[in-house]
Amino acid sequence: MFEMVDVTVRFNAGEALRGASLRIAPGDRIGIVGESGSGKSMLAACLMGMVPDAAKLSGSLSIDGTDMTGAAEATWQAIRARRTAMIFQEPMSALNPLRRVGDTVAEPMRVHLGLSKSDARNRVIALFEEVGIPDPVSRLRMFPHELSGGQRQRVLIALALACDPELLIADEPTTALDANVALKITDLLVHLSQSRNMALVFISHDLAAVARATTDIAVMYGGDIVERGLTAEVLADPVHPYTQGLLAARPDPQAIPRDANGSRRRLPTIPGTVPPLYAMAQGCRFSGRCSVEREECASVKPMPVGPRHATCHAVKRGEA
Amino acid sequence: MKSLPANFVIGAVLVALVVGVAGLSLIWTPHDPTALNIRGKFGDPSAVNWLGTDQLGRDIVSQLMAAARNSMTVALVAVLLGGSIGVALGLLASAIGGWIEDGVMRLADLGFAFPALLFAIMLAAVFGPSLTNAVLAIAFINIPIFARVARASANQIWTREYVLAARAAGMNKFTITRDHILPNIAAAVIVQATIEFAVAILAEAALSYLGLGAQPPASSWGRMLSEAQTLMYLAPELAFYPGFCIVIAVLGFGLLGDGLRDITDPRLARAR
Repeated sequence: MFEMVDVTVRFNAGEALRGASLRIAPGDRIGIVGESGSGKSMLAACLMGMVPDAAKLSGSLSIDGTDMTGAAEATWQAIRARRTAMIFQEPMSALNPLRRVGDTVAEPMRVHLGLSKSDARNRVIALFEEVGIPDPVSRLRMFPHELSGGQRQRVLIALALACDPELLIADEPTTALDANVALKITDLLVHLSQSRNMALVFISHDLAAVARATTDIAVMYGGDIVERGLTAEVLADPVHPYTQGLLAARPDPQAIPRDANGSRRRLPTIPGTVPPLYAMAQGCRFSGRCSVEREECASVKPMPVGPRHATCHAVKRGEA
Repeated sequence: MKSLPANFVIGAVLVALVVGVAGLSLIWTPHDPTALNIRGKFGDPSAVNWLGTDQLGRDIVSQLMAAARNSMTVALVAVLLGGSIGVALGLLASAIGGWIEDGVMRLADLGFAFPALLFAIMLAAVFGPSLTNAVLAIAFINIPIFARVARASANQIWTREYVLAARAAGMNKFTITRDHILPNIAAAVIVQATIEFAVAILAEAALSYLGLGAQPPASSWGRMLSEAQTLMYLAPELAFYPGFCIVIAVLGFGLLGDGLRDITDPRLARAR
């Protein structure tokens, strides 16, 4: 059980994460969605103990009740791999070009599990089979440039699974892959989570992938978790104005919207862009781009309300 | 396959020549390079002494060959020693960061600020003139150079995603440095080593010329030069031969290093 309570990550420029709370139980599949710069990756960094040195961390993070706030790097090294693991967005650059992929995957086993060379090799072969890499014995000896993008991502998943973690964080695992491969990788992650009873945190801006992969969802904006709930419910009936805008901006190829003249309507967008960290509003961070904004929004930080924990003054008033 | 850059090819040929001659001198020289023959001094080139003999009647070809071997040995040991220490320091600085990195790099700056040859002369003066001290002095001036190259390249590699992935897999800094950083900076370090090899040959010649390197009767291009200096009007060719050898060796390694850099980093090649 991983539990974050009111975690804030503060840089000189501003807060990259504002009072995020998250509880992850074995087998949970949680999606984190939001734009670039919304704090998704910082949330993942907190769970991995890999917050940059320049940041100041407050709030508490505990693993099975053990407080990990301010834990030493050596403690975290044991936690990573053994209990948490992570895969990254770019399978092209996340593998050392000069190492055989088998060696890369075997390394954590040798270091953390103390396996012998041949035991580690056998385990790598078993893992390669589990993640769907064909002909694992010959793939072991290949270099990253000899594998396709999808296969590299599978190697990275095998690397993450090397020491049987309880939590796998996938930081935009399908963004760099083509749609067909992305679907397969998404399904593989779900399958692994179910068969291993391993928690999965699936970070993405691909709402379709999140819908497919997860049971719970947290929507982030500007370092806040603005809404959370069951994935199906949140996506079907969003409460927070940001989630509503995000969903409205999804293109739907089945129903191309047309106006009265029969010409195509433009895809709805959320006006403006995510402001840089130092220019974020003190209150609701979505203020300035929000359609139901009131005076108080920019200055007063909204507290989570309702079953969705929506951080929105309008929701609190019952308007949205 | 793209053709190799000209500087690489020329450098490789010259280096092969020098290294080949140095290697050959291990098993064979036309004559004993230290054998005196006062009666045959200042001999003209002949079938027996291909380039003639010097003021003590020693065979010049044999001396040049033995000197090549000494020169290569000094440069190799000095660059390996200084390079290993420098790379280790650079990697350490890069891995740990913070005040240790600052400290190591400021020390390296200090090493840079001091004229290298002057420092070598100082070391040789303090610990006495000998080939070993010359090697140590040249090695020492190589340390900051390699520390800087290693740290700069390593800092780049530390930001790569595969290093992040290794950290996420719970690897410690030592393992990451050994398995990910070092192999990926090897190209830059090897290029630098080749260039420093040329500098080391020049430094050895300079120290020997000043009498702070190879001691008689050991052969050295630098010492041959300094001995020939007093005989410039009598036998100018005695100064020409070792000087030519130094030029060939330094030019060879310099070009080879440049060529290697052009091959491993095409962006730099275009910029120049």
